[in-house]
Amino acid sequence: MDTLWLALLAILVMGYFALAGFDYGTGLLLPFTRDRAAALRRMTPFFLGNEVWLVAAVGVLFAAFPRLEGELLSGSHTVFTIVLGGLVLFMASVQLRLWFGLIFLGALAVAVGWGLFVASLSGVPWFVGAALMPALFALHGMTFQSRSRLFGLTALACALPVPLAFSSHPVEGLMAGPDTLAMLSWVAIPILPLVVILQWSIVAISPR
Amino acid sequence: METLDLARLQFAVTTSFHFLFVLLTLGLVSLVALMQTRFTLTRRPVHERMTKFWGRIYVINYALGIVTGVVMEFQFGLNWSGLASYAGDVFGAPLALETLIAFFLESTFLGLWIFGWGRLNRWVHLALIWLTALTAYASAFWIMAANGFLQHPVGYEERDGVLRLVDFGALLTNPTFGTALTHVVFAALTVGGVFVTGVSAYHFIKRTNEVEFFRRSLRLGVVVTALATPSLVGAGFAQFPIISEYQPGKTHTVPWIGMPLGFMILIGMTLTFASWITLPLLVRDWVIRMRFPLYLMVIGIPLPFLAAIFGWVFREVGRQPWLVYGLLRTSDAVSKVNATSMTLSLIVFSTLFLLLAITDWVLIARAVRRGPETTPQPVAPLVVAL
Repeated sequence: MDTLWLALLAILVMGYFALAGFDYGTGLLLPFTRDRAAALRRMTPFFLGNEVWLVAAVGVLFAAFPRLEGELLSGSHTVFTIVLGGLVLFMASVQLRLWFGLIFLGALAVAVGWGLFVASLSGVPWFVGAALMPALFALHGMTFQSRSRLFGLTALACALPVPLAFSSHPVEGLMAGPDTLAMLSWVAIPILPLVVILQWSIVAISPR
Repeated sequence: METLDLARLQFAVTTSFHFLFVLLTLGLVSLVALMQTRFTLTRRPVHERMTKFWGRIYVINYALGIVTGVVMEFQFGLNWSGLASYAGDVFGAPLALETLIAFFLESTFLGLWIFGWGRLNRWVHLALIWLTALTAYASAFWIMAANGFLQHPVGYEERDGVLRLVDFGALLTNPTFGTALTHVVFAALTVGGVFVTGVSAYHFIKRTNEVEFFRRSLRLGVVVTALATPSLVGAGFAQFPIISEYQPGKTHTVPWIGMPLGFMILIGMTLTFASWITLPLLVRDWVIRMRFPLYLMVIGIPLPFLAAIFGWVFREVGRQPWLVYGLLRTSDAVSKVNATSMTLSLIVFSTLFLLLAITDWVLIARAVRRGPETTPQPVAPLVVAL
């Protein structure tokens, strides 16, 4: 049971970084992009679907690992203020096509925030994390925008840092009881493939 | 201020803003689903244009509301880690179901609905708006189940200092859940009805050329409000015996707690009364030709929002000093975070949420003023560039 829920959490977290990573990357590259409207348009059908992977991941974290969630989040209070403040700015300004500077700032705050989180989990110096994640996201944004064959590789590069940094963290005794987990499995296991299929359909019916 | 007060203030501010967005989302999606159903059945262009106009306002509000929801979800872990570690096994279950079933699925259905305009079979497209509405209400269902547990904890067993879930069904038969959910659902429908009525009235005040369009919208708004308000008020009063049984101290936790309660009841009664008076005046459009009721309809738009905040303040402040009633005090659940970090996040989130609410207001006002499109336009700001 433990392995199942750790795997599910890992899939959701990696899904979030692999998908939303190119959103943030696109945002980070905007100041250097000639046709900004086209870059945003390319990302539009994916956008909302990408961001909600985070929501699902935190939902699973809360219910399946309640004693871990509070410790992880409250332990990095200011880091998450940066991530969430950036997310609010980024999501609102992308969806409403506000000034591109706001989109860039939002993406930067989110990327630096996740970098700081990786640093605090893994013990590498903060500036390494703060530089690493924006660089990876920017690279991922680049491969997405240019439809490069290296897209899968940059997706993996974005997805790995947080789960890797977290892997040294003990989870013994932090999980919810078996009754909670059994009940949640009935919902979580069928929903994941359903959402993947539906999100893929959104992209499939959108014009290129 | 201390960390505890700052965290409580932050929760009150972010939840209030979030709730405003959610109410309009729930209310509008229901009316848009009705409009699209009529369009799909009759294929008359006016219903399609109504679906698009009101649908666009709905999507603007959803796009900004979802952002407040993300912050809400993180806030439990950030500021109230004591709640997760003590009651997360039980309280976390409905909350996770909300994020998975509702949030995750709802946004996906909505995405398909937005991008599916003119590309999907019309019945499939109609099914998508109903699925979006259904999952939106499922969201309210699970959130109220989680909140009902905080008001009156059930279905748990305490082992080694933490709560374990033993009876999930008890969360759904909780007396503090069902009537409160009914109350919230009808409150959302009232918000939707009053909003559509008020915006349509505004266009008649401005002597709109779109008479049939706004006449139909206004009638739908009035009828929905008239049907929703009696159940809203009924489900409100039905909670008093439950409160006196399970939370006897609720009405005097703080000296001023009667005030929001009183205002909420006053607004509920006024809207019930006003909508039922208006029903017979819909005959031959008397209410539109009389003109002065139109001004009242516009003034009425903020009333159900205000009532909802008053009601929420009563429900939540009235639970104090408990976070989980009788089991966990609010002061014991707050995260061990210093006051500076808490102040920083309070300032950041309050400012951003205020900006979001203003942006929402400006964009909706702009969409309202522009009126229904005469030429086909994309339905959402999400696809603004398509």
